[in-house]
Amino acid sequence: MKTNNKRWLGTMLLTGLVALTAACGNAGSMENNTAANAANNQGTASASPETQATEPATAADKGTLTVYLNDFDAIIAPLFEEATGYKMEVVVGNGAEIMSRVEAEKGNPHWDVLWIDAMPSVYGLGVKGQLLDNWTPNNVANLTDFAKGFLPEKPWYVPTGAHAAGVIVYNKDKVKDEDAPKTWEDFSNAKYKDMIGMADPAIAAPAYPFVSWFFKEKTMDGAQAFFGSLMNNGMRVYPKNPNVVKALAAGEISIAALQESNAYSMKNANEPIEIVWPAEGAPASVRVAAIQKDTGNPTAAKAFIEFLLDPKTQQALIDNGDESYFQPSVDGVNAKEDRAADAKLVAADASWASENEAAIKQWFADQSVK
Amino acid sequence: MKDRLGWFVSILLFILVLYPLAAVIIQVLLPGVFFGNWQLGNLSLLLEIFHRPLWQKSLENSVLLGLGTTLLATLLGGVLATVRTNWSFPTAKLLDGAVWLLLITPSFILAQGWVLFAAGGGIAVNTLGWNWVTGFVFQPAGLIFIMTLSKFPFAYLSVHAALEWKVDQLSHAARLSGASAFTVWRTIQAPLIMPAVWAGAALVFMDTIGDFGLPASIAAVYRFPTLPYSIYSAIYTSPIRFDMAGVLSFYLVLLIGLAMFVQFYAMRRSRFDFLSARAERSAPKQAGKYRLLLTTLNLMFLAVVIGIPLGANLLMSVFKTQSAGFVLSNLTLDHYTDLFHSSSVLLRGLSHSLMIAGSAALLGLLLGVCVAYVLTYSQFRFKRTIEVFSIVTLAVPGVVLGIGYIFVWNQKWLDSIGLLLYGTPWILVLAAVAGAIPVITRLMVGAMAKVPNSLLTAAQLQGDSFTSRIRFILVPLVRGALLSAGLAAFGSSVFDLAVNSILFPPNFLTLPVTINKAFEDLDFGYASAATVLGSAVVITIILAIELLLRRKEAKI
Repeated sequence: MKTNNKRWLGTMLLTGLVALTAACGNAGSMENNTAANAANNQGTASASPETQATEPATAADKGTLTVYLNDFDAIIAPLFEEATGYKMEVVVGNGAEIMSRVEAEKGNPHWDVLWIDAMPSVYGLGVKGQLLDNWTPNNVANLTDFAKGFLPEKPWYVPTGAHAAGVIVYNKDKVKDEDAPKTWEDFSNAKYKDMIGMADPAIAAPAYPFVSWFFKEKTMDGAQAFFGSLMNNGMRVYPKNPNVVKALAAGEISIAALQESNAYSMKNANEPIEIVWPAEGAPASVRVAAIQKDTGNPTAAKAFIEFLLDPKTQQALIDNGDESYFQPSVDGVNAKEDRAADAKLVAADASWASENEAAIKQWFADQSVK
Repeated sequence: MKDRLGWFVSILLFILVLYPLAAVIIQVLLPGVFFGNWQLGNLSLLLEIFHRPLWQKSLENSVLLGLGTTLLATLLGGVLATVRTNWSFPTAKLLDGAVWLLLITPSFILAQGWVLFAAGGGIAVNTLGWNWVTGFVFQPAGLIFIMTLSKFPFAYLSVHAALEWKVDQLSHAARLSGASAFTVWRTIQAPLIMPAVWAGAALVFMDTIGDFGLPASIAAVYRFPTLPYSIYSAIYTSPIRFDMAGVLSFYLVLLIGLAMFVQFYAMRRSRFDFLSARAERSAPKQAGKYRLLLTTLNLMFLAVVIGIPLGANLLMSVFKTQSAGFVLSNLTLDHYTDLFHSSSVLLRGLSHSLMIAGSAALLGLLLGVCVAYVLTYSQFRFKRTIEVFSIVTLAVPGVVLGIGYIFVWNQKWLDSIGLLLYGTPWILVLAAVAGAIPVITRLMVGAMAKVPNSLLTAAQLQGDSFTSRIRFILVPLVRGALLSAGLAAFGSSVFDLAVNSILFPPNFLTLPVTINKAFEDLDFGYASAATVLGSAVVITIILAIELLLRRKEAKI
């Protein structure tokens, strides 16, 4: 019967494709990945109409450097080309989108360098063996003492700056200066009932570094009790920092734990808000740069990392960048003038934050529906 | 011949929809399969939906929202379509326009508009002083209300298309035999449009439970997690759990399967191909003394469904700061001039998006017509399966499909045959086709259901070829639906954010990515202005095509 054969065709096709997929995944990881990557990069270059033809800068590089990042997408490529002569392509997205792409591409990565303010997640990539770990840039010597504290046990990534994942922000029209919260503990004060908002650590990239510091400092139980008391006090949890900004501007909330650049942008846009840096410190979100283990463009990738650790580069990011409020990671750079001089950043170490990421985020996710 | 077409369609749907979706769902069973790792996953994850508070709540909310919206939106869409086909009154054309506008506007823009309007410091409270609005909207019934106003176009279009042709001899016969007008409606007219009603209801249900924009925007004010929302957080939360997304997607697909089963069961005996040589195009009667009433009601309705969500976005695009509100000194056109600034990436993004949406609409139309043909006329044995997979992308969130596309189109061996499409614009076209298939297929099936097979068979008996049967008989009869389907596919692909944000190739920004980026950089005014400009361009294109092609039709 003709049709009976056809019935099997679909099943066979599916099985075949899955088998092929897995087999190729196997073979790929054993083969020389550089070649595959190179071919892949060239494929990208020839197929994308926007790509300009480029000569390989050196014999070792097979294509154009591709950087996955979540900020500075508008200015970094021209800066880099001007400084080193290398061309680069960027893929920009929010932290979550970029990490998700990196994870989904695991079998055949398209990125050479990852530059993102999600240190615990990048640490996790390092542990899983997806990052180049046998090279240390010369410019590590430029790092400040504060930034050196963020270097991992293997040279998986380098810090390029840190910003507050949360500072205290309040609406001057609604809260008098003397009534405003000065420390994080103040957030549980009953007089701020239903007035406070923050971003959801399960969704927003910088919100996790923010809460993880509390969980490290107060232990799991202590931090759960702390955030539990905030939620009982009517704290609102918004998906992302821009939502918190909108809520502040619209007057839904009058106090917030808000990411630093968002806070200063609001202030610069003449929204009636004031920023408080708590004396115990603002939890930091550290931006790090890492090279993909099997990169096809090692020369350009390394040049890019050295370039990021150059004081001139960081100064340019502060002067012209979109996320310009941050503490530079190398000496000889001046932070934004209106950034508070007493800005104190604190952070949970990356390995602890990475290990406990799933548990903490799930606690928040489940908490929010109770 | 028909069997060959059936297989052709099956293979394409397999590649575009089933394989990428299966690639995500299989993560539950074999989490590492695409990275050469055959380790078995943890199957107990499948049952966790009954234990985890967030997942359980998501499932409940999705079902509640889906059922409530389906009921109300089908009712609303059906009534509106009936009124619109039976009576002509001034401003009736505006209703059609509004329906299309709602259909192509992505739900996150609509939802944001509603939030801007109804939230604590929103327009309703601040400008109009309606304090009750906030409490009314931000509760489950309120969300069903908003969802109904956003999703009723599916039911409206489906029913409206079914009423395009009428065979009055049946009604006349009944009236001659003494039946009252109501009896005629109840026993003849209503049953004849039931397939279209069911089809519309199914579309509403699936688009509602798959909707991510509304729960995401509402979440800012009121926690209402749904399945797509939880899928989003599984994929977009480090550590990234594709297996969890797989589990939740599995339940979404299960829900769609259930909905299709119900639809199929209900329609078992209700397929009537009533279009015969006696059919005539229905022409609405003058509304007479109800003219004024209908016009007023229509305008009030439009003010709510279009005025509130899009008006709020429009206001945002001319405000200097949001908190200063609606005063003259706070108004500006700067956001619009920014769009045309030389360094602006927006116009390039817009042209990319239009190109992709255009190709996707054409390719999708070709495939959609073939699918609809197989579903309507062929004896192909896997028709039901094809039907399920032609609709599944409506309910599966774009981001799940996007991840599946990376798994499928980023395998190293594809490079050797030149098909490593991930990292090229083609991947966006393919994903957009997959996203457009449900709407195209549904509209085409609805239209074809009224064209009896005998018309085609008669031509075949006279020795007419397959292509000319399609060209000279089928296409002219379903021409209106073809146009609608193509335009709907085009409009909705332009703004599809989820797929775009996960798949766009390096240096190839598209419109939704640009808008979203502006939002995240706090350029709310710019984001709103870009939305308004993008919508205006898309609507202009759609209207131009409509005008060009519908005219021609009228001449024939």
